[in-house]
Amino acid sequence: MMNEYYPHFAAIEEIKEETYNTKTFVLDFSASRRAKDFSWNPGQFMMLGILGIGESAISISNVNTDGFINMTIRNVGNVTNSLFSFKKGDTIGTRGPYGTGWPLKEIKGKDIMLVAGGMGIAPLRGVIHHIINHRKDYGYFEIIYGARTPDDMIFKYEFDRWRNIKKSTLHLTADEILGKNPYECQTGLVTSCFPMMKTHHRNAIALICGPEIMMRYAAKCLETIGFADKQIYLSLERRMKCGIGKCGHCQIGLKYVCKDGPVFNYADIKPLIRPL
Amino acid sequence: MKAYAIEKKDLGILIEGFLKKFKIYGPTKPGLDSTFDEIKSIDDLHLEYESTVLPPKRFFHPPRETLFEFKIQKGKYETKEIKDDEKFILFGVHPCDVNAILKLDKFFSGEFKDKYYQNRRKNSIIVALNCVKPGENSFCKSMEAGPFIDKGYDILLTEIGKKYLIETGSNKGKKLIQGLKLAAASDNDLLEKEKKCKIANKKIKKIMKPEWLPKLAQENLDHEVWVDLGERGGVAGSFPCLSCGSCSLVCPTCYCYDVYDTLDLSLKQGKRIRELDSCQLLEYGEVALGGNFRKERKDRIRHWMFCKFGAAAGGRNSSCVGCGRCIRICPSKIDITKVAKELRRKK
Repeated sequence: MMNEYYPHFAAIEEIKEETYNTKTFVLDFSASRRAKDFSWNPGQFMMLGILGIGESAISISNVNTDGFINMTIRNVGNVTNSLFSFKKGDTIGTRGPYGTGWPLKEIKGKDIMLVAGGMGIAPLRGVIHHIINHRKDYGYFEIIYGARTPDDMIFKYEFDRWRNIKKSTLHLTADEILGKNPYECQTGLVTSCFPMMKTHHRNAIALICGPEIMMRYAAKCLETIGFADKQIYLSLERRMKCGIGKCGHCQIGLKYVCKDGPVFNYADIKPLIRPL
Repeated sequence: MKAYAIEKKDLGILIEGFLKKFKIYGPTKPGLDSTFDEIKSIDDLHLEYESTVLPPKRFFHPPRETLFEFKIQKGKYETKEIKDDEKFILFGVHPCDVNAILKLDKFFSGEFKDKYYQNRRKNSIIVALNCVKPGENSFCKSMEAGPFIDKGYDILLTEIGKKYLIETGSNKGKKLIQGLKLAAASDNDLLEKEKKCKIANKKIKKIMKPEWLPKLAQENLDHEVWVDLGERGGVAGSFPCLSCGSCSLVCPTCYCYDVYDTLDLSLKQGKRIRELDSCQLLEYGEVALGGNFRKERKDRIRHWMFCKFGAAAGGRNSSCVGCGRCIRICPSKIDITKVAKELRRKK
């Protein structure tokens, strides 16, 4: 019987500097037996652990064609702080991937709207790559990405590529712009982009990820525009210790965020995240 | 199913026989209160107990346990398995606790199997004891978890006058008493058991109607009761919740745990440990940068109650069995049955 609590070790293949406090770690699994049966969905997460420090739930921001796993991590706590001292070639423990991920199959043929706030773009980056690779399967594609300042934005090196996706729009917005503004961000919260949006709600699906307060406002705005609850998906954040629906920390109503989520249909969890 | 009867004074011989092969944990009374502990002889056993302070969940899901040990050498990690193959008998468990163990069984199996729990469960034999003297806080009858039991045990004892009635409920149980010279139970003994069952049922005064609770709880996210419990003066004669987490500690179905690592002084080896946690504690819902999804006390007590009512994710397998331990231990005198009643009454 496999023991789910044991970590699989992966070597750090590359570390990309995203912002002053965010890095993307590219992990190489080839040495671990995990490599063979590894499969993932955008939106899933892994339990990233450093023995002696602890574990943390981190979403997969992409898996390269050569099988390297990208995890984009902001330095905010114990585990992440310790991880930032790691160098290329060091090993870290991983478990997973866990969770359900974005419903990419179910939303085929629809217009897709992504709303991401801050680090919320990380679990959605896989969706963007999926849509680029399967452009014909989806309708109009709109990305709204907001961060505190233009400097806090991650994946800046991909913005040009995202702008050039056929039949798509990219809105970038920052809460505050004091210095340079090389990516032509607007000033304001993500919700301030909604009046400019080109997607019509009739055949659209919105995928939202960001701080919970941002998701609440975004969902409310989308509702006002005409989106039904069923057309909105959210990715939630909770404290997680096991990732497999046992430790109990991530319970939300009758669901575990780690096992039944982290991506939920808004209709299913609406009363539990205190809608506005 | 064949039943046997044994004189109370002969129980010692039975225990001594078991002790040759197994460790036995059972109810003892070291001080004023009873608790489950190791039994070395029949004198340690206190079978007349009403309810123990702590439930027997610790024999399967210990309050603190090592998941694995690890070594760090030159940036490489090595993990080492922990083996726990102790075979034991859990002796004299009341029906409410047996039902709680069955709930935990269900919870720790499923999609991801918990090897640690299942291993201990596999190595254990449960000797249940029908509850002839339910305590004042018990409401197991409402939760269909007592005072008498008809499944889930390996061996079942029932006190009938000067004798104990012995029934087997599984192959494990049959194997345990195989070869022992036990007298078959007479019809009179079986009648006596039924009589005891009726008396025990009558002794239970507390009621909580479970079939309504999940729906009722779901519809009452913003009920006044939660504000009363968390911030104002409490509910039905109780004080407001103190968020001490005692209820989780004594609950036989509360299983939530925290996972953390410890390193020894050399920083070269350590352990990954899991420890019981409680949703009543502030840190339970805390995430990086100080975010907390259950910051307010009323949210935490509400979640615990929901879980016990079967209306939270964990609650599908950790709902209440009516043992009444939380009622007894609560320093604020919060009574779950009264909370359920208030939920229904107030709008």
